[in-house]
Amino acid sequence: MVSVAEGYWLKQSLQSPYAGSMYHGSPLLLSILGPLTTRRIEGKSSHHLCSLVFVIADVLSALLLRATGQKLQKAYRLNLSRLGLLTSLHDRVILPCGDIAALVYLWNPFTILSCVGLSTSPIENLAVIVSVYGAVTRRVPLAAFGLVMATHLSLYSATLAIPLIFLLGYGLDAPPVKKVLQTRHVGVETTGSTSDVSKQNKLTQTTQLFSWRTVLHFVFWVLVWSSYVLVLCSLSLKQYGGLEEMFKRTYGFILRIEDLSPNIGVFWYFFAEVFDFSRNYLLIVFNLYILLTGIPPLAFRLKHRPCFLAFAYLAFSSILKSYPSVGDAALYLSLWALFVNELTDMEHSCFIFCGYIGFSLLSPVMHNIWIWRGTGNANFYFGNAMGYACFQFMFVEKSVNAMLNHDQALKKATAEMTKN
Amino acid sequence: MAAVNRDNMEEVKTDDGSPKIKPRPIVRLGIFLIAHSPIFSVVFSAAGVLALLLLPLLAKNTYISENALMPGSARSMLSNQDVSDGSKLVKDIKNFRLNHEGQGVEVQKLIGKYMSDMGAEVSFQKFHPEGNQFHPLHFFSSPDSYALEENVSCASYGVNVAGIIRAPRGDGKESIVLVTPYDFINGGDYESLSLGIVSSLFSLLSRVTWLSKDIIWLVADSRYGDYRPVAAWLTEYHSPSFKVSDLLKCDELNTADNFRRAGTMAAALVVKVDGRSERFEDTLSIYAEASNGQMPNLDLINVVNYLAVHRQGFYVKVEKVVSLLSSSWLQIFGEIFEAVGKLAHTLNPDWNFGIPAADYLEGSATLASSLYSQALGIPTGPHGAFRDYQVDAITLKISPRFPPDSKTRQHDFFLRGARLLEGTIRSVNNLLEKFHQSFFLYLLTSPSKFISVGVYMIAFALLVAPLPMVAASLYIDGCKALTNSTHNPAENLKSWKWLDAAKQVFALHLLGFIVTLLPYFICQVPGQHSPRNRSIMWGTTSSSLLLITFVTIPGFSPFSSRLHGTNWAVLKSVTIAAAFIGLCLMSIINFATAEIGALLLVPTCLMAQPIKPALRSRRVKSLLGAFCSLVLVTIGFPVMFFALSKGLLGEGLVGLSLGGEFWTWLESLWAWKSATYLYIGMVHLPCWLLCLCILFHPS
Repeated sequence: MVSVAEGYWLKQSLQSPYAGSMYHGSPLLLSILGPLTTRRIEGKSSHHLCSLVFVIADVLSALLLRATGQKLQKAYRLNLSRLGLLTSLHDRVILPCGDIAALVYLWNPFTILSCVGLSTSPIENLAVIVSVYGAVTRRVPLAAFGLVMATHLSLYSATLAIPLIFLLGYGLDAPPVKKVLQTRHVGVETTGSTSDVSKQNKLTQTTQLFSWRTVLHFVFWVLVWSSYVLVLCSLSLKQYGGLEEMFKRTYGFILRIEDLSPNIGVFWYFFAEVFDFSRNYLLIVFNLYILLTGIPPLAFRLKHRPCFLAFAYLAFSSILKSYPSVGDAALYLSLWALFVNELTDMEHSCFIFCGYIGFSLLSPVMHNIWIWRGTGNANFYFGNAMGYACFQFMFVEKSVNAMLNHDQALKKATAEMTKN
Repeated sequence: MAAVNRDNMEEVKTDDGSPKIKPRPIVRLGIFLIAHSPIFSVVFSAAGVLALLLLPLLAKNTYISENALMPGSARSMLSNQDVSDGSKLVKDIKNFRLNHEGQGVEVQKLIGKYMSDMGAEVSFQKFHPEGNQFHPLHFFSSPDSYALEENVSCASYGVNVAGIIRAPRGDGKESIVLVTPYDFINGGDYESLSLGIVSSLFSLLSRVTWLSKDIIWLVADSRYGDYRPVAAWLTEYHSPSFKVSDLLKCDELNTADNFRRAGTMAAALVVKVDGRSERFEDTLSIYAEASNGQMPNLDLINVVNYLAVHRQGFYVKVEKVVSLLSSSWLQIFGEIFEAVGKLAHTLNPDWNFGIPAADYLEGSATLASSLYSQALGIPTGPHGAFRDYQVDAITLKISPRFPPDSKTRQHDFFLRGARLLEGTIRSVNNLLEKFHQSFFLYLLTSPSKFISVGVYMIAFALLVAPLPMVAASLYIDGCKALTNSTHNPAENLKSWKWLDAAKQVFALHLLGFIVTLLPYFICQVPGQHSPRNRSIMWGTTSSSLLLITFVTIPGFSPFSSRLHGTNWAVLKSVTIAAAFIGLCLMSIINFATAEIGALLLVPTCLMAQPIKPALRSRRVKSLLGAFCSLVLVTIGFPVMFFALSKGLLGEGLVGLSLGGEFWTWLESLWAWKSATYLYIGMVHLPCWLLCLCILFHPS
């Protein structure tokens, strides 16, 4: 927020907002939030107003999360009943995942911290959640708008395009298609009632086929929105070098990891230590690493669960982001909470939980020892950041594992049902 | 160590997953450790305590790590003329004080005149002695400029004098600070000797050519304690307040726009002279502990120690717990270690780790004092104020062996004291960068022996190693018990069974947090209250809060009999995990606190077991276990431990006034922003309560 204030001030004084070293965000954010940084209400300092905006954004995100969760919960119940598992596991409680996710988002210390710290991440999170919500409720323009805004605010959200396309193409999260087909056959053989068959046919059609029309629709809207945003940006930056400058100062800044001040990520230390001549090479390697190792394998493995895929992508990018913040962790943790039903059997939950708590408490202490007391050094803090990243990796890995195991278990249960 | 343990903890939960895959060796090791956790926890804790006792043996000799320091390599340039300057100042002050009995600032002016005669820039600073204020969140922040209260009275304020010599070879960006606390109203004869030493040195430094860092001589007005004037001066130096203070109008001395600065401080030396030395030589005591157990760089102590011992012939000592010197059990330990050392020496002449029992006693008494003052987190002198600004500083307290009025001896004393300071300043003057070569984290066992962080952490790591092991094994047991007891397919939250226990642990930690902050509100209660009343208020509010928590949250109280609640094993496991995290965190903030806390908390957490089944079974072993855990929990209560340690220190146990004393003690912790208070409130107290819950668990 300090950087937004600087950017706004620069813009007010008829300079390019990127002339200073601080601001590297979008020009639109500047024109929305900028005025708030200078306005005061009844003698209270300006950041009260800004934090009000962030609180509103957070509450909106929580509401949207809740709606998304309710949709997903319905889908989960539907899937179970379609597989015929709900009767056998009648007493199996389906947790209200929407409420849980919203509460996890609002009460997460990370969310509160990023709100108190006046980081702009609540707004980025809101954009991401809007896009997911839009895709889940099949409001294509909304989803496209969310995606474009999220990408505009922080580059890494661009990866969300894949899960969103899956979501629009395949529909909501479901067990793999094969199993549905399997049960359908069983259903035909055993019941043989025509109405049932036709109903199940319909259901399978909606889940099985990739609906190209919706996706094209989505792509069209994405194009519309992005050109709209670009036009707005170019209008606001006309005197200061236009769009090229903006791309260089925002996306270029993210990709080239120029700011090496310490954050909770793992790259700043590495690039502070690295020799200058190998810097470009390593930049390419790291960015390709994020692009190639993270995205395609997960997309292949989890294409039947696009929402979960979105969670995995967000968590993955929040680990390997060039400038991560605790707000990212808040976002993916709340998306994770949407799948409490599926992830009940997650391994090592207690251990990972303890690790999260330990490292998030340790990190300010290390920072204090390094910066204020001078008795520690950067290695202490970086070691802590690495430990935190390890735990995040473990968390993602265990969640994905648990999800796949859950699918396996469903398959087994269905197979048993068929036998019986 | 911790990493291995974490691995262990992780692996535990895998072993019920897929038995087909043959686990890796480290996993097998982890499973082995956890399977035999009772034995290993006893072994590890015993080893931890033993390692703590062994620490004096493992101490290394100090060495000068930074080559640029080169202590004692230059010949001293101090002349008799300089010393007689110093003597003259002391004499003048004495005469002046005899003639003028007053409150004014005449003595300060006199000193200021001397300084400016030597060619220094003089500035005066007025400060206000501040009372204890409770800033709950100031433990980690940097010292900021205190907001001055509006109604500053002229009745009580102090005036510091600071003189700055500009270095002929410097660029004015660095400085070395000399501090002499002096009570201008009723300072004794000994105190004024410190002024004599420093003014002799100052007179020399004003004409030397090798100086590359400016020298600041601060005469701190110590009538309100040593620490406060130095802290006030440092605050003004680093973060000036631009508000015009009312203090300026208090008397004719105009201090506005007169404050002088001289760049970042490389080091600071506080010089004090007090009392007569009991020994034959002059004694030099070094105090180094700053707030929250922070220490200055070891090189600074090394330089002073080296020069004092090898050049000026002082007897150098650091603080020690005197009562430990006569304790018989330590004596026995010392003799055993000595015998073992001798035995090892006969076996292999290269093994030279044995030290005489007397040395061992000395070392452990010093170590105990070092640990104690670091654990309290209260600085042992005005040097503590410098550490808040990351300036390495120590206090040198010199005790001469002569009575204060002996003229000839005084001359010699000034000469040696000033030469010691000159050598130190010359060394620091050589530095090109901040002190960074040597250790910041160490414990002293004698002025020339230290234990570095790598060694003393072993004792702590061994002590806390059982915690994750026991937590893991209990977790497995608890989960098994839960699955067996419920037999309910609805209980499908296989891996989330710990959530109930975690809720309880979290609630109690939250309670601990609130209790920690309560004194802030109690201090706001209008009216004058004695510390005893305040402590009673605190006690009643916190216990009523605890009761409210137990009543309002169902299935929470340890006393309610309910069928399905949290299994005590899982609860204990989560408690232990929380204690482990808390202790590890504290060991980074303040090692000594964590070590002492671990000595208390680890056995309590490990021994805590429900006493009901033990009473029912009536077996000697389980009864003994229950008794032990009861005793440990009783001792573990902070107030109880405070009372016990008071009793041990020989001040006698007191009845109801204990609460008052405890309160005063805590107040001193707040005043120094000690993280120990936070530890007690937010780690120790909740864990203790949880142990109590486990103890009375209806299982």
